[in-house]
Order: sequence, then C-alpha cells, then structure tokens
Amino acid sequence: MKRFFEPDRKTWLHRSNPALKLAVFVGLFVWTVLTHRIDASFYLACLFLLLLFFASGYPLWKTALLASGFALAFASASVTMILFGKGSEIWWSWGPVSISKESFYRGLHLGFRSIAFGCQGLLFVLTTTSTGLFYALMQRVRLSPKYAYSFMASIRLLPMALEELRIRRDALAVRGAGGKKGASRLLQMPELYALPLLAQSIRRAQRTAAAMEVKRFDAGRRRTYYYDSPVTKYDAGAFLVMLAAVLAAALLAQNLPIFELGDMRMNP
Amino acid sequence: MSAKGSPAASRRKGLTLTDVLVTVVVSLVLGVVYHVWASVSSIAGLLFIQSDELVYGMWFAASTLAFLLIRKPGVALIAEIAAAHLEIAFGSAYGIQLLLYSVLQGLAAELIFAAFRYRNTSAVVAGLAGVAAAAGSLLADIYYGYVTEYATWVIVLKYSLRAISSFVIAGWLMYGLAKLLERAGVTQSLRPVDRKEYDALDG
Repeated sequence: MKRFFEPDRKTWLHRSNPALKLAVFVGLFVWTVLTHRIDASFYLACLFLLLLFFASGYPLWKTALLASGFALAFASASVTMILFGKGSEIWWSWGPVSISKESFYRGLHLGFRSIAFGCQGLLFVLTTTSTGLFYALMQRVRLSPKYAYSFMASIRLLPMALEELRIRRDALAVRGAGGKKGASRLLQMPELYALPLLAQSIRRAQRTAAAMEVKRFDAGRRRTYYYDSPVTKYDAGAFLVMLAAVLAAALLAQNLPIFELGDMRMNP
Repeated sequence: MSAKGSPAASRRKGLTLTDVLVTVVVSLVLGVVYHVWASVSSIAGLLFIQSDELVYGMWFAASTLAFLLIRKPGVALIAEIAAAHLEIAFGSAYGIQLLLYSVLQGLAAELIFAAFRYRNTSAVVAGLAGVAAAAGSLLADIYYGYVTEYATWVIVLKYSLRAISSFVIAGWLMYGLAKLLERAGVTQSLRPVDRKEYDALDG
C-alpha cells in the first residue's frame, strides 16, 4: 500500500502547502458542483484528467490504473439518471424505465462531473500526505493540536485493528464457532466481530491518548512543530494553474461546444 | 493526568484528546466495516430498484455510535469527518466530496443531539439523528447528483428507504452495540462524570 502510493517525482503540487491546497481543491469542488452545462463539465473532465496525468508525479501506468476506476464512477453516476430521470422528449420507455433526451444528456453530464470530481480528488490525495496536511492545518489555520495529533495517531492504530480482525476470524474458525449459515450468521456479526474489535480499539485508544496527554500533545499555544509548513511560491503556482484550468474549460465550452445544450436541470 | 489540578471542573467541559482519539478510532473501526459493507450494499442493490438504500444507514453509524459511547457535544461531527479522513488517507479519489458530505451529515446528527441537550441517549434519539444525517445527505445529493430531477416515485422510494434504514441501522443497531460495549465495561471511563457522582464521593 505504502509503496504503491509513493510518487516517482515531486511536482509543484507536492511542494505547495497542504492547507492552502485543500482550500483550493474545495473551491474547485464547489465550482464543479455549480457547473450545470454539459459542455463545461465535459471540458472540465478532460482538462483535469490531463492535469492528473501530468501533475501527480506518478508513472503513467499507475495513474492509468487509478483512473480506470472512473469508468465505474461514470456509469454509477449516470445510469440511474438516464433510466429514471425526468424529461419530456421520450426516446424509449418500458415499465418503470423511461429514457428521454433530457435525462440521457443529464446522465452524461453527471458522469462527466463525476470524472472531474474524481480527478480533482485523486490529484489532491496523490500529492498530499496525511501528516503534511495536519501539520499545515495546525500552523496555517490554527487547528487545535489535539485534533491533528488524534487523526495522525489513528492512522497508526489502523493496522493493529486489521491485524485483530484477522486473528479474530482465525480464532473463530479454529474454535469452530459461528457455524451458522445465512441470515442468522449476519445477526451474530456484531457480537462476534464488532464488539471485541471495538472494545480492544477503544481501550488501546485510551491508553495511547493518556500517554499523549502526558507528553502534552494537546498543548495549545506557544508550541513548536517538528515539520515546518510555510507558504511558498508553489502555492501561488498551484492556485494559478487550477484557476487557468477552470477558465480554460469555461472558454472552450463557450467557443467549441460539442453538445450545444443549455442548463441540464429542468427548472434551474 | 492527576497533575492537571482539579479534574472535576476542567474535564467536563469540551473535548479532551482522549475523547477525540477514541472518537476517531471508533470511526476507524467502522471504516473497516464500511469496506465490507460496500459489497453488502452492492449485493443488496440487486434486489429491486434503489434497494441498496436498504443498507444505507450504515454510512451514518459512526456519528451515532460515537455519541452513544462518549456523550459529548461535537463527537458526532468529528466521527463523520474521521470516517471521511480515512478515505483521503488511503487514496480514495472521492475523499474531498466525502469530507463535505460528512460535514453536512455530522452537523445534522449533531443538531438532533443538541435538541435533546446531549442528555438523551435512547435508541429513538439515535435513530432520529440517523434520519437527520440522511436528510443532510439528501441536501448534498440535490446539488451533487441532481436527485430532484429523478421521476417523483424514484425520489420518494429512494429517500424513504434511506430514512428507514438510517433509523434502524444508525439508531437501533448502534444503540444495541453501545449497550453490548457497556456490558463489556469499556464505556465507564469514557463518559463525562456528573456533579452528583463527585458529591457521592465527598459524602
């Protein structure tokens, strides 16, 4: 897992401050949510797919592998709308299904948007480490250290929880417990798995937290940080590139429209 | 911890690092469950149209379970955010939107608990919080997925199934799980202590 998610080269996006980058990407998300024209969402998807390949710093095959998941995202975002969406110009209908021109293009629009969202999200997670993000949030937006260090510590506790799940499953198998099949087995799941895993994890979290409190991980004001998280020229760069990308998508949609349809909602 | 002066007054107010870490870890364990649940959801989706909504309530379970265990303001919201953070930390492409969804859902659940002044921890209130979280997700869906553009019967079917499932899974089921954990004795040290319990010690 860790090996896989290690970039080949560091791009300007890796070097920009994670807290500011998060703000930029939330901005991108809002912009994309407020995009209602299919031409615009199509170009957004294309441009961010390009950015994903060039700016993530991962080799081509890895990026392609990760991006292949977008096909499924495209399908799941669009199919329900295509089959069950409202629309007046009916193309085909059968039982509860009715495909209309409006619902078809609205479905495609949702699919393009989900690709754009996916590219933006992937671009963020591939260029940001959890630790870097929380150090930046503490220093740049004054997130209280007790939250930041709790979230960071929890990542370290996860492998232990997974290990316990494995041990629990093996132990039950060895003892021949939980032999029931079907629905009654599903009903036993909380007691067989959830209870012991949660109890162990909560106790471990309490012990860890007690140790962290003694070491003053939760101390608020006037503390130093192991990692510095400055604002650099790369932040301006990241902001300008993202701004250029959304403006380019809007311009292309205006001047080179492919679908030439208006707002995708029935009553905007 | 005893070096902190009078623990009675200071520890009751706000969240301590212990509260936050336990909340985050509870969501984390549920995050592991979520990965199993994704396949349960896709199998359930084969039954009939929108039938995957029958098991949707599990996505709101972190907030109610964390509140039922710790019983402090803010816990439900942090639990939701922690579940989304797990997705970001492990490279999910949809991390950022899950984060925004989680804030809406967590705030909605938080509103219900606040309406009962964070004192009522019954299964019904947990169920209501689950339904509120579902309403939060509906609000996000309207902008994100244009759900108001579905045929009307689909909207009604989808969101009534989701509300019912949220009430049952995030409410009743998590209440039962919290009771099991109580019996196992993990919760006593988590909860805020009442004034009268200190008075009982003094007397």
